[in-house]
Amino acid sequence: MPTLSMSPVLVSLANVFKIPVSQTTLRPTIALLNQPAKSKPSPPRTQEAKATFSTTRPLLKRKAATPVDKRVTLIRYFLHHPLTPRPLRFSRNRYLRHWTIHRAWQLHQANRRRANQLELQRQWQAMNAACEELRTGAGDGGKLFRKSMIKTGVFRDMFPIEYGRLQTEGPGEGWNHEWTRPEVRR
Amino acid sequence: MAHCERASRPLIQCLQKSSTRGVPSLQLQSTRAFQTTSLVREEAQTEAKSQPFYKNPDPTLVSSPRLERRLMRQGILPVGSRRRRAALQGSANLPFEQLPYQCFQEARKVLHADREEKLKEITATGEKIARIQALPEDERSKNSTLSRLRALEVHLETLKIHADINDPIVKKKFEDGEGDMSKPIYRYLADQKWREYRRKILVQRITQMKVIPDVLPHCDPVLDTKLYFGRKPVPPGEFVSAALSSNPPKLDVQMFEGGEKLVTIAVVDSDVPNVEADSFDFKTHYLAVNIPISATNTKVDLGQLSADSQVVLPWLPPVAQKGSPYHRLSVFILEQKDARPLDFAAVKARETDRDNTLLRTLQARYHLKPIGANLFRSIWDETTLEVMKQIGFPEADMELRRKRVEPLPYKRRNPSTFR
Repeated sequence: MPTLSMSPVLVSLANVFKIPVSQTTLRPTIALLNQPAKSKPSPPRTQEAKATFSTTRPLLKRKAATPVDKRVTLIRYFLHHPLTPRPLRFSRNRYLRHWTIHRAWQLHQANRRRANQLELQRQWQAMNAACEELRTGAGDGGKLFRKSMIKTGVFRDMFPIEYGRLQTEGPGEGWNHEWTRPEVRR
Repeated sequence: MAHCERASRPLIQCLQKSSTRGVPSLQLQSTRAFQTTSLVREEAQTEAKSQPFYKNPDPTLVSSPRLERRLMRQGILPVGSRRRRAALQGSANLPFEQLPYQCFQEARKVLHADREEKLKEITATGEKIARIQALPEDERSKNSTLSRLRALEVHLETLKIHADINDPIVKKKFEDGEGDMSKPIYRYLADQKWREYRRKILVQRITQMKVIPDVLPHCDPVLDTKLYFGRKPVPPGEFVSAALSSNPPKLDVQMFEGGEKLVTIAVVDSDVPNVEADSFDFKTHYLAVNIPISATNTKVDLGQLSADSQVVLPWLPPVAQKGSPYHRLSVFILEQKDARPLDFAAVKARETDRDNTLLRTLQARYHLKPIGANLFRSIWDETTLEVMKQIGFPEADMELRRKRVEPLPYKRRNPSTFR
């Protein structure tokens, strides 16, 4: 078969570029990776075959080959696959530089998260204070505050367009700026 | 020309046209296009002009085999690999912090700003602590003030660590083993490293071999304790031959906190066979008190401690009788309360019996707290007999045997019940 003689690199490249090599094996098969010992030509086998009239080796006959865990097989397959990139290997100084940049980036992100959290907290507290002011300082015994807190019928007929889309930091693609709220018929 | 030189030549040509000291083929094209090297490098070159490189080769830069051989004949070994040296010939040899990588330098700026912030916070916390300590006595001894003080101190410690933890130079120094243990950051890093593997092994050994419930009810090791017999390090739980353990071991006790502690060190054998009671006894092989340790003062040689102020029970070589199961010899390091010294004369007068003193009793009697442990085992080997004769072990030629269980006499079963 021509495919068996091809190197796995060629086979996988052919697979990537969708070049039909043959119908049977496009990738290096798992079975081949799994039992490398079997494919090796072994000289004592011929002697055994002469001695006893059996084609199986005595050890194989006695017990089946120890089953390899499927997960191990898959890990091996993908680790040694030619398309798997090689692991990152850095020199000492380069690793240290990489580490420095990584630490700085982590620190920056942590600071940003903290600032964001603090801003949210500040906004919430400001809103809370405003509500409290409305409740106590408006001079109407808190009537306005109570009225404003009534939530009945808020989302009954329609709900805000903001909730129709996942909330993001900025305006996303496909935002319909011409949209206006339709007249609510009561 | 060596292979590595050939390999690094295009690199050198790209990086710098000027540096041509070690590579002879490049010396011809010394037309300087751009001068980007530092002044230090320039000086080095003018210096080199006075004496050519092949006359006085630099062990950090030499890369041709002939010059290397000449250096080695003089007894100077070249530094690093030949490839590295050849690459260094063309480099400006900048210190690590000044390497001209933009992202790296920006990252250093970020980290530096953070460190400045942390330092400011450290001074602020220190001032707060000073203010609390300056309060009048009745105000200071209130529970709320005490807890606030404690919280501030813990915060100060974490700040000290956070100020330095992002420094690549600190990391590099620690990885090279050049960390200064008097500084909190290196202590923190060493602690992390110890807890990652060595402490886990230690805790596993002392719990799996049941030292923990047998000798002491509980121990949470916070000290890295290494055990050496002679110059040989002994991993926890290793079998040590009797000849080797006839001399007292050395300890390397690494503390990960600041300050100084006074400790008691005890070596206890928990497997002395007791034939009469068909059980096992304890034996104290070593006991010493008032040993000062700190993060920088780590070496404790059990044989070198002073006999008239520290050693209560001197080293007794551990021996295991033939046929007895292995003996676990556990080394415990116990912290004395408030770093106060024990009264040596009283302890010496009281603790004279090696056989009937339990470490639990000592712990309760002197208010000790176990903070470090180690373990080794001994079993009968070919050197044990000699050691037994040296120390005058009473039953040196006796072998312990398991009692043979006599099988029950054969009894013919009644065949009628089988039906």
